[in-house]
Amino acid sequence: MTVDMSVSVGGLRLRGPVLAASGTFGYGTEVPLLERRALGGMVSKGIFLRPRAGTPPPRIVETPSGMLNAIGLQGPGADALIREYAPLWASWDFPVLVNINGESVGEYGELTSRLDGVPGVAGFEINISCPNVEQGGMYFGNDPHAAAAVTEAVRKRTRLPVWVKLTPMVSDIGVIARAVEAAGADALCAVNTFVGMSIDLNAHQPRLSFRTGGLSGPAIRPLAVHLAHQAARSVRIPVLGVGGIMRAEDALEFLVAGCTAVQVGTATFVNPRAIADIHDGIKAHLETHGFSSVADLPRYLPRD
Amino acid sequence: MFLLNAPIVATREVAPGMAVVSMEAPEIAASVRAGQFVNLGIAGPFLRRPFSVYRVDGESIEVVLKAVGVGTAELLGMRPGDLVSCLGPLGRGFDLEAGPRSAVLVSGGLGVAPMPLAAREARALGMRVTWVHGARSARELCSEAEGEEVIFATDDGSRGFAGTAVAAAPDGELVLACGPNRMLAAVAERWPEARVAVETYMGCGTGVCLGCAVPLKAGGYDRACKEGPVYRAAAVDWASLPSHLPYAVTA
Repeated sequence: MTVDMSVSVGGLRLRGPVLAASGTFGYGTEVPLLERRALGGMVSKGIFLRPRAGTPPPRIVETPSGMLNAIGLQGPGADALIREYAPLWASWDFPVLVNINGESVGEYGELTSRLDGVPGVAGFEINISCPNVEQGGMYFGNDPHAAAAVTEAVRKRTRLPVWVKLTPMVSDIGVIARAVEAAGADALCAVNTFVGMSIDLNAHQPRLSFRTGGLSGPAIRPLAVHLAHQAARSVRIPVLGVGGIMRAEDALEFLVAGCTAVQVGTATFVNPRAIADIHDGIKAHLETHGFSSVADLPRYLPRD
Repeated sequence: MFLLNAPIVATREVAPGMAVVSMEAPEIAASVRAGQFVNLGIAGPFLRRPFSVYRVDGESIEVVLKAVGVGTAELLGMRPGDLVSCLGPLGRGFDLEAGPRSAVLVSGGLGVAPMPLAAREARALGMRVTWVHGARSARELCSEAEGEEVIFATDDGSRGFAGTAVAAAPDGELVLACGPNRMLAAVAERWPEARVAVETYMGCGTGVCLGCAVPLKAGGYDRACKEGPVYRAAAVDWASLPSHLPYAVTA
């Protein structure tokens, strides 16, 4: 029996349900041992309109079953992305969405206008959840009005798919999810990293120069599964599950919890073949249980 | 770049608490250059651990380490035949080319890591090699060093020159250095053109996570795992590169 691994999510038809998460795959140009066949799509490293240097080192620290990072959205800016990376993406056989950032609603809009229509840019993932920037970032994801305003600003400037990546650092993710759905989002990505902190007991100060960082890895998985589930219950648009997925079983948990597709990030650092392993493992699970497609997998999704 | 399940071949002690571990990794052994590293996946810690390739012996590569945390302890406890996930060769090494007639290798503590390969390449290119190796005391010196001339230096004067390896070193046409970042900052003051291998925290080891940022004198950051770990000493903004990592990662 052949299993149909393709999924429709937020305005795109993907050949598989596993995408590379933003910030863990660069611009897709220097990923080792990439097995494209297994890649449903990719979200590029978060970008601002203008180049950004990022935060001073140390930027990462290992924690139990995970890691904290405070990279600070280092990036070359929109012009360099359009010049150097988009032309490559245009020839690839999977879609690349750009993770977009801004310090103001206007900046998100301007960045969208700049990138809309550039060959190679298949859609947008609005980052309103980065914990590692002083201005913007998670602030927009904390407040339903701000989240909706950013989503609207992007929506008005493109007909390409618009996904919104949500922060877990909220008291009710459903409120934010409904606000960005109403503002025109095509899909949600749940969730970005949790804010964490780790202390160096020799120096008696935080290990990260930014003081805090975003926690990723299996340490956050049960929290992320719950939040993705809560988001999926709250809206009619599809949800991509993300947070601590290391193996196919982890991805399947997100799918059963109501997600349409998943993103894999930190796992790639540990296992450069993680995305292919997860794709193949999902397929094997569907075959074993006699499901003919990803869409056939039972969902546990009682609506609010 | 290769991803291999490498069987452990042997482990030998080169100083109390410091050991060389060899593993069978034919593709990496055949292609690695001095100063490049491998990122090892070890049971226990979450992330891989970067290690400079110490020496190549036939189809095996060697790394040198001290037990400083769970990962290194696990690796030191592995027995012949146990498998370690080995990703490499990674990064840009010393990129030695023919020309200089003499090379001075300066290593502090675990900074010996890239030096046996560097010595081998330098000698193959016709250079006379002087290796200066320093540690806090005689018992912490690595017992293996090679070159036409070997100079030891200890902080406490218990063997060789009393003082730092940098102070003990003669000048050479080409200077290569590896050790704690504070030592490399001293190297940069004395020999701005020296090629130094820095230590940083590392996430992916392949250039995508931007976790191993190295601050540059010219402004901005680049990646120890991709543009590095070897830099022209004067190119690094040493004041902004952490000099004490809570745990040692030599790459």
